[in-house]
Amino acid sequence: MFYRLSGVHHADYVSDSRIFKVPADRNLTAFIFLIGLAAPFIIPSLYLNSYLLPWLIWTAAALGLNLVTGWAGQLHLGYAAVMAVGAYSAIHAARFGVPWEFALIIGGLTSSVIGSLFAFAALRVKGLYLALTTLAMQFVMDWVLTHSPAISGGSHASLQSPTLALLGQEITTDTGFYYVAFGWCVLVTIFMLNLKRTGLGRALVAVREKDFAAAILGVNSFYYKILAFATSSFIAGVSGALLVATFFFLAAPEQFSVAVSIQVLAMVIVGGLGSIIGSYFGVALILLVPGIVNGLVVTLSDGLGMQIDVETLAHIPNAVYGALIVIILLIEPLGLGKLYGNIRDYLMVWPFDQFKK
Amino acid sequence: MKRLTKALAVFSMVGGALFGTQALAEPFKIGICYDLSKAYTFATPQVSQAAMDLAKLINMKGGIGGEPVEVIVRDHGNEPQRGIECYSKLSREGVFVFDTLSTPVSLAILPRAMEDGRILMQSLVGRGDAVDGTVFEWVYPIGPTYWGQAANDVAYIKQLHDGDLSDVKVGFVYFDYPFGQEPIEILKTLSEKEGFKLELYPVPLPGSDQAGVWSKVRRDNPDHVIVWMLGGAHVVASKEMQRNRIPMDKYISVNWLNEVDIANIGDEAAKGIKRGTNVVGGQDVALYQEIMTELYDKGEGSGPIEKTQDVFYNTGLAMYSIMFEAARKAAELEGLPITAKSYKAGLESLEGFDANGLMAPITVTAEDHGGGGKTRIEMWDGETWVPQTDWISEYTDVVWDVVKESSSQYEQ
Repeated sequence: MFYRLSGVHHADYVSDSRIFKVPADRNLTAFIFLIGLAAPFIIPSLYLNSYLLPWLIWTAAALGLNLVTGWAGQLHLGYAAVMAVGAYSAIHAARFGVPWEFALIIGGLTSSVIGSLFAFAALRVKGLYLALTTLAMQFVMDWVLTHSPAISGGSHASLQSPTLALLGQEITTDTGFYYVAFGWCVLVTIFMLNLKRTGLGRALVAVREKDFAAAILGVNSFYYKILAFATSSFIAGVSGALLVATFFFLAAPEQFSVAVSIQVLAMVIVGGLGSIIGSYFGVALILLVPGIVNGLVVTLSDGLGMQIDVETLAHIPNAVYGALIVIILLIEPLGLGKLYGNIRDYLMVWPFDQFKK
Repeated sequence: MKRLTKALAVFSMVGGALFGTQALAEPFKIGICYDLSKAYTFATPQVSQAAMDLAKLINMKGGIGGEPVEVIVRDHGNEPQRGIECYSKLSREGVFVFDTLSTPVSLAILPRAMEDGRILMQSLVGRGDAVDGTVFEWVYPIGPTYWGQAANDVAYIKQLHDGDLSDVKVGFVYFDYPFGQEPIEILKTLSEKEGFKLELYPVPLPGSDQAGVWSKVRRDNPDHVIVWMLGGAHVVASKEMQRNRIPMDKYISVNWLNEVDIANIGDEAAKGIKRGTNVVGGQDVALYQEIMTELYDKGEGSGPIEKTQDVFYNTGLAMYSIMFEAARKAAELEGLPITAKSYKAGLESLEGFDANGLMAPITVTAEDHGGGGKTRIEMWDGETWVPQTDWISEYTDVVWDVVKESSSQYEQ
C-alpha cells in the first residue's frame, strides 16, 4: 500500500545492484533531498544554523567512522584526533594563502596520511587491542595540540579560521554555510551508498565478518583495512575542516577531545553499524537531543511554574537522554537504522502479508 | 513579584511584536549559558545563584531605570556546539549580553559575538588577550587574566623578600593543558627580569596523581610554589605536601580555590594556604549582607544558603554587579531601552567600581577591557581568609606586551 510492491524480486544482476531496490525509497530520498535544498527558505535561521548545519557535518563525519567501524569492522576510538588533523592542516593551509578548495583537500589528505600511517602500526593488533591503540592516537594528538602553540595557535590554543571561500565566492551567510555542509554531506552519502555495491564494499564486509576467512578467499585483509582507515580519515579530515570553517570559525583542542571521539562512536553505534540512514538518526540523537530535551524541560518547568533550581534542571535532560539511549539499544541493539528498517519492512507489502499469518 | 515581572515581560513582548514599537522596553536580559552538568560544576552553581539573587534584589529595588532585569540560565554541558545553540537561541530572544564561564564555549561563541556585535563577558575564562579592546571590541574579560594574576603573585613574593628576588626559587605547579600553561610565558619573562629561579612542574590531568611532582618539589625546595589547578587537585596536592613535609604557606593558588576545597583539605591542615583573588572572601560584605536580609531571611533565595558561603558566590556577585552596574550606566548615558551599543558605552564608563567593597576596583576603558586586572593575596588562617596585600596590579607593561603579541595574531 505504501510501497506499492508485492516484495523485492530481482530478475537480473543489474536490478540487484541498484542503489534503490524499492522505488518508494528512491522517491523518499529525492523528496528529502529537495527539502534539504529548500531548507534555508522554509526553516527559521536559528534551526538552520544551530541544529541542521552541525547535524549534516557530523553526519558526514559519522559516515566516515561508520565506514571503518561499521563496514570494515575495526573499532576506532581516535576519530576526533583524525578530524583535528584535517581541521588544523586545512586552516593552516588557508591562512597560508592556499585557496579553500585545495586547503580542504590538503586537510583530507593529511588526515588520510596520518590516519593510515597510524593504522599501519595499529593494525598489527585486532579487536579491543586495536581500540586501545587508536585511543592512544587520540591522546598523542591531544598532547601535540596542547603542547605546540605553533599548531594550535598561541598560548590560548585557539586558531582563527579565515573566511571560507569556494569557487571564488566568499561564504559569509547562514544560507551559504548551510549549502556547503549540505553539499558535503550529500557527497559523502552518495559515496557510501555506492560503496555498498562495489567490490571494495564487499571486501570490507568480508574483512569485518572474519578477516582470516576473507584472506582465504583471496581478499588481502590488511590492505583493505588500511584502505578503510585512509578513506575514513579523508572524510574525517574534510568534515573536521568544514566543521571549523562553517560552524566554529576557530579551532580549539576541546572541539576534538577524547570525549568527542567517544561521542562520534556513540553516534555510529546508536545509529546502527553499517547503516547510512542510521548515521543520520544516530547523530540527531547524540548531538541534538540533549539540547532539545534541555529546551523542553526548561519550557515545561516554566510553563508549570515550578521552582526547580538550575542545577537540577540541567541534570534532568542528561538523565532523560541517557535513558533514551539505553531504551533504544534495548529495543533494537542494531540501532536506530535497524529500527527504521523494521518499520519499513513491516509496511513493505502491508496489508497483504498479514493474510499469511 | 516574579509573576508580575513575567507578566510584564510577556505583555511587552506581545506588544512589541504586535505594534513593532520601541517604546515598550523589554526587561534588560543577561544570557547565562553555563556548564551546570559537566566540567565547571565546581563553580557554576554558586555563580549562577549569585546572578539570580542579584537580579531579584535589583528588581525589588525597582529595576534599572524603572525596567525589570532578567537573567536566563541555561546549561550547555561544556559542549561548544550547545553553547552556540544557547547563544543563537537567546540572541533571537533579544539578549545581547552573554556569559559562559567556560573556556571552550567562550572560544566558540567569540567569533559570532564579534560578528554580530553582542557583548561577551568572560571573566576568568576564555582567551586572556581579549582584554585588548582595540582588537576584541565586543569581548569583556573583566577581572584579572591568568597572566596578570601570575604577575601579581610574583609581585607579592617580591614584597615578602623585601624587593630582592635574586636568590629566590619559585616553583610553578600547573595542569598540563592550556589553562595551566598560560602563565608560563609571563613567569619566564619575570624570572629573567627579576632574577629569580623558576622551576616548572607539570601535572597531568585530572590531577589525581601528583606523587612524583611533589617529591620533586621537595628535592628542589623552592621558596614558594605558585599553583594553577582546580577543585580536587588542590586536595591531592595538600596531601602530597604533607607527606613530603612541605609547609603549607609556600602554596599560592590561582583564584580557583574555595571553601569546599579548604573543607576537604581540613580547616587546620589548610592553615597558611594562600590564593590570589579579585573578590573579598567570606560573608563580611555589604552586598552579601543585604542579600541575606532581603532574600534569604524571607525565604526567597534562589538556592540553598550553604552555596552562598563560598568564595565563588562572591565571585558571581562581583561579576554580575559589574554587568548590572554597566546597564545602569548605559541607561543613564543613553536612556532606555538599553542596546548593545549603549551597554558597551556603559561598560566603558565604569571607573573605580568595587561594588561597595566586594572586589578589586575596576576601571574599564575602550583599550583595556579587563578593568585593570587587580588582585590580592589572601591567606587561610584556619577560620577565615586574611588579606596579605592591597589590591595590586603589577608588571602591567610585561603583561600587556604578552597581550598585544597574542591579540595581534587574532587579526591575521
